Amino acid sequence: MHVNRTRLSWARPAIAATALFALLGAEGALAQEKKVPGWAQGRPAELENSPLAPHPGKMTVTPPDQIPLDQIQLPPGFKAEIWAHGMPGARMMTRGDKGTIFVGTRGIGRVYAVTDKGTTREHQIVTEGHYQPNGVAFRDGSLYVAAINQVMRFDGIEDTLPKVPAPVDLTNAFDLPPDKHHGWKFLAFGPDGKLYVPVGAPCNNCAVDADVHANIRRYNPDGSGKEIVARGVRNSVGFDFHPKTGELWFTDNDRDWMSEHGPDCELNRVSKLGENFGFPACHANGILDPEFGKPGACDGVTLPAALMGPHTAPLGMRFYTGAMFPDEYKDQIFVARRGSWNRTSNLGFDVVLAKLNSAGTSASVSPFMTGFLDTGENSFWGRPVDVLVMPDGALLVADEQNGAIYRVSYGG
Amino acid sequence: MSPTAAERRRRGPDRAIASKRRAAAGVLALAVLLAAAPPAGAGTPAGGPALEELLEGCAQCHGADGNSVMPDVPSLAGQPATFLETQLILFRERLRRSEAMAPQVKGLDDPTVIALAAHYAALPPRAAPEAGDPALLALGRELAKAGRCGTCHLRDFAGRQQIPRLAGQREDYLAMALAAYRDESRGGADTTMIDVMRGATDAEIEALAHFLARQGGQP
Ligand code: HEC
Ligand code: HEC
Repeated sequence: MHVNRTRLSWARPAIAATALFALLGAEGALAQEKKVPGWAQGRPAELENSPLAPHPGKMTVTPPDQIPLDQIQLPPGFKAEIWAHGMPGARMMTRGDKGTIFVGTRGIGRVYAVTDKGTTREHQIVTEGHYQPNGVAFRDGSLYVAAINQVMRFDGIEDTLPKVPAPVDLTNAFDLPPDKHHGWKFLAFGPDGKLYVPVGAPCNNCAVDADVHANIRRYNPDGSGKEIVARGVRNSVGFDFHPKTGELWFTDNDRDWMSEHGPDCELNRVSKLGENFGFPACHANGILDPEFGKPGACDGVTLPAALMGPHTAPLGMRFYTGAMFPDEYKDQIFVARRGSWNRTSNLGFDVVLAKLNSAGTSASVSPFMTGFLDTGENSFWGRPVDVLVMPDGALLVADEQNGAIYRVSYGG
Repeated sequence: MSPTAAERRRRGPDRAIASKRRAAAGVLALAVLLAAAPPAGAGTPAGGPALEELLEGCAQCHGADGNSVMPDVPSLAGQPATFLETQLILFRERLRRSEAMAPQVKGLDDPTVIALAAHYAALPPRAAPEAGDPALLALGRELAKAGRCGTCHLRDFAGRQQIPRLAGQREDYLAMALAAYRDESRGGADTTMIDVMRGATDAEIEALAHFLARQGGQP
């Protein structure tokens, strides 16, 4: 059900930045002034007629023999294999207590469950027909799924699979804003037992009510006790908690159409509840927004722990808590970068390692898993969107473009 | 989703009557065909009906050459294959809801979806009708420019990849589709299109549809 909002008409001068474009004056006459649509605001002249647009996803099954695994590059001693496949749109992952991997999607509207049968994996559809059910989290025997404006809980699911229990509908309890754009969710439980939920800005770049949009909240698992954890967060689709300090670290996708070369996407650390990360006034490492960034707009804004590259779309990220990889990886962060569309030469399409400084306040980024992008051809064949550390220390990497999950292991 | 009172008020009586009349004609034509067209069933080339058989069914509504002559039914000819695949899968997954399309795609497997999409993508789109209302055309052109529709749909509105061709599409269908984005009633819709259409008026939608339906010269 969509909630009716005040319609902002193209026919009136834009009263909010989300209003599209006003051509007709208030009296219905063709206005001379042209407003720029929200998603294209602040475009410099060089991008005025740019034909850049998001890359298409792939909604059909990719057979494993069409996945060019041999092109994946990893540091010496690491190897990648196809761990599961045949799940179009596979995105965010969570692991059940009994080892089931649950996988969210966007366009195709499904959640998958992957069960490990030793040498092979089997998957099934847990639930389908949802509007971008991207967020999945697991706690106390229950699977939590968040789609655009929908939250569900599947109790005892690992005991009943392949039969799927009827979900408990938590949508009203969480009472998330109804917006579709940037309305898909990531989900994760914190060490405090709360469910953390991001709410993106419903636009490329617009003024927002910081208590409603562009934030990360946490709730009790039943949807009560909402608190804003971070503000000024344009669109976070991935976070994790430091294994020692418990601090929330999150990725954020910075705005489009300002320049091909910036602002950079972000990796952030939350050190106090309700901290402001700058959107829409202050981007990346202190870049003022051409429209919303008045002088001084970066004062009091927490700048990123690491810059993640312009338009690279860093999404799923986890601290490496396993024992399989060399010591230098311990408690460092793996980040899946889905890859850019809002720049002419593609960037990202990889998994990077963010190494924390000794104070644990900032990080430096280096490549880890590459080869999905052919920079010479400016083409890509895979899009990593999430990572997950397995009990044996291997790293799972979800590739949305091929509907596959890779397993990265070390030694052996 | 039924229109809210505010929406109905905004639409005004003329528009409401015109669209009701059009809708009635469309529903009638569709109802006849819903009875006549064979549902695709579990239509795999292996198990279900062959591709040609499926296409015969599609042709009853979308036209034998993929150019629709039926009210409110979109033309498919010359649409990018990825767009067609995506929409067929959205129908199959019951995200995009349509009474007419649901039985057509039920149980279709991925290879069949890909084959159907390839078929229609390869057909030439019909040349757009020439005449139009000059004032509406001018307004539509201005709106499309200001809304930067060509950024994604390309300057000639031929579409690409997941982004549909708009040039030469049926005017009634375009108006319906644009209103569905605005009203957030198109299931599984691309969220940017919802952002693009937020707050559009019926008059603007009418002008955009009028203009876009008349784009595209000789194929
Ligand atoms: C009974 C009439 C009917 C039949 C038969 C039919 N369609 Fe459709 N189709 C429609 C209607 C009506 C729509 C528009 C639905 C809407 O937007 O609500 C549509 C929409 C579509 C679309 C989306 C196009 C767009 O521009 O968004 C595709 C693709 C499509 N049909 C393919 C097919 C194929 C392939 C077949 C045969 C397997 C088929 N249709 C059979 C009536 C039909
Ligand atoms: C940011 C990219 C983008 C922009 C800008 C954009 N579109 Fe779209 N449009 C899309 C995509 C992607 C789809 C496919 C949508 C889906 O799957 O719901 C689409 C679908 C449509 C459709 C549905 C056609 C069909 O056959 O079903 C219409 C009509 C349309 N757009 C018109 C417009 C108009 C008019 C504008 C400018 C006011 C515009 N678009 C601007 C990306 C865009």
